Amino acid sequence: MTAKPCVQDVSFPECESSHVGRLRLQLNCNSDCVYVLRSIVAVMSARAGMSELRSNRVAVAVDELFANIANHAYGGKPGRVEFETRIINHSDGSVLLFDFRDYASVSWNGCLKEVAARRIDHANPCPGGLGLKLICSVSDHCEHDILDDGNRWRLIFKLAEGE
Amino acid sequence: MDVKLTFEHENRDTQTALLRVHGDVTIHTSPRLREELKPLFSASIKEVRVVLNDVDFMDSSGIATLVEGLQWSRLTGGRFILSGLSENVRDVFELAKLDTVFDIEDSAA
Repeated sequence: MTAKPCVQDVSFPECESSHVGRLRLQLNCNSDCVYVLRSIVAVMSARAGMSELRSNRVAVAVDELFANIANHAYGGKPGRVEFETRIINHSDGSVLLFDFRDYASVSWNGCLKEVAARRIDHANPCPGGLGLKLICSVSDHCEHDILDDGNRWRLIFKLAEGE
Repeated sequence: MDVKLTFEHENRDTQTALLRVHGDVTIHTSPRLREELKPLFSASIKEVRVVLNDVDFMDSSGIATLVEGLQWSRLTGGRFILSGLSENVRDVFELAKLDTVFDIEDSAA
């Protein structure tokens, strides 16, 4: 009997992991892949000099976005996700950027500003809809583009002086 | 980083249920938390306490599960208490603006 490879759905399309400011990954949207992404966030946030608390916030945002793609775009079924993260140094400041690309036929067509402004009903809180709200509250910029063959999401975190 | 979530149940008396959670609560593990939590709510249980001091990471799927726990406790008329939240987990509750909705105790039971 031939043993199955333990990792079937994770591949590095280009070998750029040695580059200080950039990591790329292609994976299938199994729910356990959130741990792969968290490891990458841990590496990139450490390279960016983020505090543990800020690094956790970034990890939450990345986790939530991946969960949204897995649950809503692909409906819990397997699907291809391309992920890239970069540290970009601009003259007016540095940022940590995360790009997600999926090839799902379903697109989210809500308004991120409305999600960010949505109030929690404290008397009767609802278990749904928290993920995007968390993403909007922790990232400095979140954008979503509907493409002909899927979706692209971008999260940007500004790096403070000293980070 | 814990890919598996584990639990310990403690029944201190007939009216109190205590659930200790160990690991990270994510989209991958929150269904297990729901499975463990839901049976604790019954008319005879007056207090359900979830101890989270061994949880370093929680995302919105975990918080949503605990919101369900809050709803179940309201239906059964009991208290639902969270305790031992790490700084990171408490921060996520605050970001979600749900820290004042839950009955949160600082120290673990």
